[in-house]
Amino acid sequence: MAGCLVLSACSGPLSVLEPESASARNATTLWWVMAYAGTGIFMATASVLVLAVVRPSWLRAFGEARLILWGGLVIPLVLLAGLVAAAFALGERGIAAAREPAALRIEAVARQWIWQFRYPGGHVTTNLLHLPAGRDVDIVLTSEDVIHSFWVPRLAGKLDAIPGHTNILRLHADRAGKYGGVCTEYCGIGHAPMRFDVEVHEEEAFRRILASEAATAGEGGE
Amino acid sequence: MRPRSILLLGAGFTIWASAFVALYAMLSVGCRFGWHEVALEGAGGLSLQRLQLVAIFLVHLAAGVALVALLRRWKDRGFLYPLAYVAAIAALSASVFSFGAVFFLSTCA
Repeated sequence: MAGCLVLSACSGPLSVLEPESASARNATTLWWVMAYAGTGIFMATASVLVLAVVRPSWLRAFGEARLILWGGLVIPLVLLAGLVAAAFALGERGIAAAREPAALRIEAVARQWIWQFRYPGGHVTTNLLHLPAGRDVDIVLTSEDVIHSFWVPRLAGKLDAIPGHTNILRLHADRAGKYGGVCTEYCGIGHAPMRFDVEVHEEEAFRRILASEAATAGEGGE
Repeated sequence: MRPRSILLLGAGFTIWASAFVALYAMLSVGCRFGWHEVALEGAGGLSLQRLQLVAIFLVHLAAGVALVALLRRWKDRGFLYPLAYVAAIAALSASVFSFGAVFFLSTCA
């Protein structure tokens, strides 16, 4: 019941527990592995602690040296080795997936306290990122002032936007939808509300939107 | 020797921490300078990036082994020395466990 109440907060446009891409799914898998293992370790430790109070004779029967050897060395080692192996494997998969440059590159420029996205063709949107579904997109990240960090929890991990340097983040949204993005590096008084929307469209709709944005930009003299 | 024995308790994990910081920093520096794309003929086609990370790892491993060997000789001196010895062994094992992956994991995206 308590778990349901706590987890009910874990949904919505910024939820890491509702991944919409392969790399975000990797992170979510790792999160669940860590959460289950952490819960298991906590329960096991707490049980031994409770036993020590209510049934100390059981622990005594098990033997001090054996308790330290198993509880302090063997079990933690097996668990940690498993978690490290999981993290290594998922990390490798993430790096391998981003090795070839993507066909579509969108430049993201952060500054206090907005995000600007520049698409091929030169048009720009502010605090709104349009993406096509089902294909790789490289977000070319940089900053005009201080260090910011780009994070769309449901699509990928976070990556810093650093002045004078470009970082590339691979995104691949599985399907159309509306997601949220945030700045995750404290960047001044306007950091907390420095959010942006992510709209993932089907390929055709994506092209149409970019064309109309370009037309509007031409008229408005953006 | 008394005051030094307390410091020796943390010596093993200080070497571990130094390896951690050095590997973390040089990994990023190497990726920034594209060292993972520099193949070294003399080292069997190993990348410069891999070579420098492995070198950092081995230097710290050697320091860890030397510390264990030293403390092994001193471990009968009193209460803190055997503890420092065991801590150094734990740190050495932790180094192999945490950093051994420099031999095979991808270094740069």
